Parts: sequence; C-alpha cells; structure tokens
Amino acid sequence: MKLLLLLRLWNYLRGYVIIIVDGFFTEKFINICAHRNILLWDVKVQSDRTLTMRMDIKGFRLIRPIARKAKCRVRLLKKTGMPFVLNRYRRRKAFFAGALLFIALIYVLSSFIWNVEITGNKKLETAQLEEMLARNGIKTGILKFGVDTDNVVSKIMLDAEDISWISITIHGTKAKVQVRERIPVPEIIPMDEPCDIVATKDGMIKNVVAKEGIEAVGQGDTVRKGQVLIAGKIPLKDDEKRFKLVHAMGKITARTWYEEESPVILTETERLKTGKQINAHSLILFSWKIDLPHRKNNFGNFSINEDRKRLSIGEDLVFPVEWVTVSYREEKLTEAVVNEEDAKNAAAEAAYKKALEKVPENAKVVNTNIYYVKDEQRGQLARVTLECLEDIGVSRKIGGN
Amino acid sequence: MAKNSARKKKSRDKAEEYSRKKGFREKFTELLELPKELVLNIPRITMAGNGDMMLENYKGLIEYDRARIRISTGPGTVKITGMGLIIREITSEDIIISGNIHTLEFLYAANDTEHTG
Repeated sequence: MKLLLLLRLWNYLRGYVIIIVDGFFTEKFINICAHRNILLWDVKVQSDRTLTMRMDIKGFRLIRPIARKAKCRVRLLKKTGMPFVLNRYRRRKAFFAGALLFIALIYVLSSFIWNVEITGNKKLETAQLEEMLARNGIKTGILKFGVDTDNVVSKIMLDAEDISWISITIHGTKAKVQVRERIPVPEIIPMDEPCDIVATKDGMIKNVVAKEGIEAVGQGDTVRKGQVLIAGKIPLKDDEKRFKLVHAMGKITARTWYEEESPVILTETERLKTGKQINAHSLILFSWKIDLPHRKNNFGNFSINEDRKRLSIGEDLVFPVEWVTVSYREEKLTEAVVNEEDAKNAAAEAAYKKALEKVPENAKVVNTNIYYVKDEQRGQLARVTLECLEDIGVSRKIGGN
Repeated sequence: MAKNSARKKKSRDKAEEYSRKKGFREKFTELLELPKELVLNIPRITMAGNGDMMLENYKGLIEYDRARIRISTGPGTVKITGMGLIIREITSEDIIISGNIHTLEFLYAANDTEHTG
C-alpha cells in the first residue's frame, strides 16, 4: 500500500495524461505501445470499442503514428501532474522569485547559530558558561561554518579549571554544549610525610581509634572545627623535648547536629482565579523585541505566566523568531484558617526536609527531635534537630592549615 | 473445407515439433536449474486470490474487454474471464490485470488441436 502511494506520487511528479482510444483495433494499439516501451496503466474499457488509459508525457508524444497504424482515434481527456501545474504558472515570475527567496532565506538563516544549549552544569552558572563560550566565538548569531569546535574545546579546557570535560556539537542552528564539572581532588598527603588528623566540623567525639599517632581527644569530648584529633607528633619517652613525627592515621566517629526551622502557618491564603485575563503578546526577531499593544492591567491581585514559542523545524533547526505571550490572570485572595495540628505537622515536615539536605552523604541520622518554639518576630516555629554519626577526621600537614 | 484441414495439419505439425523440442529443453533446464519461463518461452503467472494477476513473458494482447481477456504467449493463448477486468499496467515484459477473475484457461495448440481461434 505504501509502495502504491509512492508510485502515485512519482507519477504525479512526472506528470501523466489520461487518453480515450476508440477504434476496432484497440488491442493492437496497446500491443504496439507495449512494444515501443510506452508504459500504460489503468487501461479501462468504457464502452464497446472505447478505452481510457494513462500514460506519461514522453509516451504521449509518440502515440500519433501508433494511432494511425492501429486505425484508432485518440483524444486527450485530462492532463495531471506537476509539469502541467508548473507550466500553467510559468509566467508568474514573482511567485517563483518568492519560492526561490524562501528557500534561500531558509538556507541563510539555517547557517547561523541561533541557540546555545548548555547541559550538564550543576554548580557553574549557565550565564558564566555562555560568557566563556562567547569569548571563544560561540554565541547566537554567528555563522556556523566559521566555528572550529575542536579548537574552542581545547581552549576552554585549558582556561577553565572547574570543567573536566566539554563537548560542543552543532546540530542545525543549535550549538549543543555538554559539560562535566571537575570534582575537587582532596589533597592527599604522601605516607612518608608526617601529618595530624583534625576535625572538619564541630561535634562530640563518640569513638577514636588511632592506627598511627596519639589520640589527642577522648570519648565524650566536644571538638571544634580544625582541632587536632590524632596528633602525628609523638613525644619521646626519655626526652620530653624531642618528638617523633609520624603520618597519623585512624578513624574518628563523632556526633554532629543539624538544625533547621520552619514557621507554623495558621492562616492560608487561597488564590482563586476569577477568569479575567489579559494577554500581552510580543515578537522577538533576532534580538529586538516588538511589543504588541494590549489592554492595561488593572487587576489588584494577579499571577503572571509567560509562554515562549520559538520557530523551529524539527528539534535542531531553530530560527531567531520568537513569540512571547505573557498572560496576567486576575485572582481573588481568600484567607482560610488551618487546623493547628495540621499546620504544625506541615511546618515540622518542611523543617525536617531542609535539615536532611544539610546532612552529608556519609553521615547516619541516629536521632530526630522536633519541638516548637515561640519567636517574637516570626510567631510559632517548628524546629528539627537531626543527630548524626559521621567521620569528621581529615589529614593535615603538621604546622599547616 | 480443404483450407481448414490444411490449417489443422499445419497446427498439428507445429504442436508435435513443439512438444518434441519441449521434452529436450525441459530436461536441459531442469538439469541446470535455469529459469524455466525464459528458456522454454512460457508465461509466468502470479496471482493474489482472484483479484490480481501478473503475467510475465507474454507476446501480445489479442482481445480485451471487461469480461474477457486473451493474451498470446509462447506455447498458446491464455484466456481470462471474469467481471470488471482492467489492465492495471502493461509493459513489454509484463501485464497486470485486476478485477474479479472467474476462470483462467490455457488454450495451447499441443493439448487442444480443435481450437482454431
């Protein structure tokens, strides 16, 4: 079926004619056509001695002698296909010029980069990356043929310390940039160099096991950030003034606390849409924005919603034409009183989530405390304290920081 | 009458010659596994139910109307009868017929010497 459709399309593009053949020897006419390599299709008997059939334009030019030979009368019934349509519009110069201009415009517009898409950055700002790319010649509005992506990649790799990998590919009018951020390498002190183990944060020591060096703190001690936990400087037994320096090693487990709070909201404002809406349209061509006139916004309370539509063919061929619709929807605010128990629970939940985000990956939460406090400025607060167990030791060179 | 019998005789001679030739050639093609329709000059017919039919390696169209089509091929005439028959495509190599095909007959000189038309 698909093939048949393709065949019909092909026939349409090449153009064909429908002819009526009548005479006594229509079979002879068909035979001669077949032998002279004129393709005939849809040969139908209309009435006695009359046939209709289709043939291509080239064949139609050759049938006059065949008709004479077969003593048939041939009449042209219909011309179908692209060549005839084009022939009809041959004199319309402006139409063809327009079509040509359209193709040229598509080609010209698609040879620029109109969109830089950056993915893979977590900590780095997209704007900062865009600026870095622009400095190396990748920004919207530049010719894509002049861009040497390999060169730009190697330049950025040399310049940017915090990028470990970058790939730039140009698809259509889009420059796709993928980056991977560098994870800072912890400073590793060689085994033969003496060091201490110090605390990375405040906490209460639960357990200290020194493999090398002297335990400087004991169980139950509270330590501050930077305090030495296992010392690599060991005083010699016979001489108090002389020391032996070692590479301290060991495991320190400490209790740490993470606290967060969230206000208990007893009244809730409900936003109900009244149904009134104002739409402000604007068109962005290249970088200039054309605002279309719209009604004035007289709403007391409203929400703003922005919708951007970019002209593109497929996903990769993006053009510098954008249609922006900003809609203002009027809203009516109504206050509703919330059940105190529910409000407290919601606040505790929010505080718990915030606190949990602060807990590092290697820490284990052992205790959760929730309590409510009155704050003079902010009213009632839900406070959540998470007690954790984690390793807080890190190596540091003796005398260093 | 005399003319008719002469024609019959000629037809019979031709048929005999054909069948003799066929015996040798058929064995030869079967031995070498050559495409039979080309070496023996016989039609190759492909049908999809009774609606579509493709006939390859034909000589010419003898008769065509909505109810009957006769096609001449190497060994004889192939006759198709049916309803609303149309020739979907015709080239020098093949002919595609569609419509409601009722019968397909092989009017070969070798097995029907009585047939004259």
